[in-house]
Amino acid sequence: MRKDQQPRYKEKKFLPWVAAAAALHLLLFVVAIYFQIVIASREVKPHVVTVTLVSRPGAGGLPGIGGQDGGAEAGSAKAPAPAPAPAPAKPAKALPEKKALPEPPHKASPAVKKVALEPQKPKAVEKPADIQKALDRLKQSVEKKAVSSQPTPQPAPGANINDALAKLQKSVQSGSGGGRGSASGGRGGGVGGSGGSGTGGPYNAVVASIIQQNWEFSRALLKNSYGMEVYVHVNILADGTIREIRFDRRSPSEYLNNSVKRALEKSSPLPVPPKEGGAREIWIGFVFTPEGIKQ
Amino acid sequence: MPDSKLGIFGLLSDAGPVVLCVLCVLLSFSIGSWAIIAFKFGYLRKSLAQSRAFLDYFFDVWNADKAFSESEQYSHGALPRVFRSGYIEYRAIGERGDIRQARARVARAIKREANAESKRLSSLVPFLATVGNTAPFIGLFGTVWGIMTSFHSIGLTQSASLAAVAPGISEALVATAAGLAAAIPAVMGYNYFTQQIGIIERDLEEFSSEFVAACVGEPSNGAAE
Repeated sequence: MRKDQQPRYKEKKFLPWVAAAAALHLLLFVVAIYFQIVIASREVKPHVVTVTLVSRPGAGGLPGIGGQDGGAEAGSAKAPAPAPAPAPAKPAKALPEKKALPEPPHKASPAVKKVALEPQKPKAVEKPADIQKALDRLKQSVEKKAVSSQPTPQPAPGANINDALAKLQKSVQSGSGGGRGSASGGRGGGVGGSGGSGTGGPYNAVVASIIQQNWEFSRALLKNSYGMEVYVHVNILADGTIREIRFDRRSPSEYLNNSVKRALEKSSPLPVPPKEGGAREIWIGFVFTPEGIKQ
Repeated sequence: MPDSKLGIFGLLSDAGPVVLCVLCVLLSFSIGSWAIIAFKFGYLRKSLAQSRAFLDYFFDVWNADKAFSESEQYSHGALPRVFRSGYIEYRAIGERGDIRQARARVARAIKREANAESKRLSSLVPFLATVGNTAPFIGLFGTVWGIMTSFHSIGLTQSASLAAVAPGISEALVATAAGLAAAIPAVMGYNYFTQQIGIIERDLEEFSSEFVAACVGEPSNGAAE
């Protein structure tokens, strides 16, 4: 009798602990789900960032810029470009409708003067005459556009010119060379010694968008994004065919490297590059990151 | 995108019935082992504390009657219980038998109660050992089964890309992770409890002779023999 009662008593004492353990497991499960939801909501943000491709249509390849001789120096130089993109002051009045347009030209003339006057920056004043020529030419083209434009001017060319001006100033500030160079933005004239076309920026953007479309890459398959950058230079022939893909720097992930290679191979042939400089082939540099393609 | 497939819900929803069964078994094992760990931890701790307190009192007074009346307060201690059983046996004999017979009977009663106490202390603990030994294998079984079905479906889709292979393998590996999660605390608890129970059992063995001597009234050296 007594022995029968003892296990029951013990069972009664043990059952609350079973309930507590079950509750603990349930709590752990709920916490795990909560953290999963929190992490999932955090991971959504980078997908929005991947659209940077459109907003950065190439840093180089501007008319008359690129550096014929000093390209190697320009290509390797990673000096941070000054924030405002300087350009001639006159276009500020010429394009009154767009708010974004007047700013870069407004700051342009002081910056140009700065380059010409400051002797302690030898890289920025390598060939002031050429820069001045290029600036004058750009000024003229902007003025023409402004004069000929109606109250509702076409946005695309104006934006291109504005972008071109901004990039030109960036290139001048970062010492990307003053000569007539190749269209390859990041590389400068070091690789594209043969000279390139002057409308590299839009062309680079087009090429980048094509490559982006052909790039099959899932960020979820990378364990971490540290150091995941692939620096690539592409040699494009006059007919748009990609002749050579040169990996300047590979990422630790072979998956990313291979996806870049496949995307470039898939994108060939590309659109025919502009022939303003009379170049037979051009080099374009890209940086592939999990967030997108940069130039 | 693959993000939606990741996570606990994704893993469980895509898992096959065998893997789900394995996970359920492991969950019940884990709940049981944690309940035993919590229950036994309190039980053994109380038993050890009360046994030590009773021993202190016992050696202070060295009187069976006083020790018996005091032992009523230590209901959870193993040593007080054993002493009580010996004392009750001694009182049951009374003045009838000779002292050697009384000593033998008291010793038998104490040994019987010590065995019962040892069983009581170690009850449910073997379950921890079972969980610790079998849970990783059960989890491994779930993993092997999951990988098997995953490779089968990969063969049907005729795609060997990482994106096709990885989700199935990660689903399957959840079973191994669950097995290890159930086994690790069980093994730790089992080792701790066996050590604590060993201490109490050694105390029981050591002080049984002292109890017999206290009850029957012989010197402890003679009683030990």
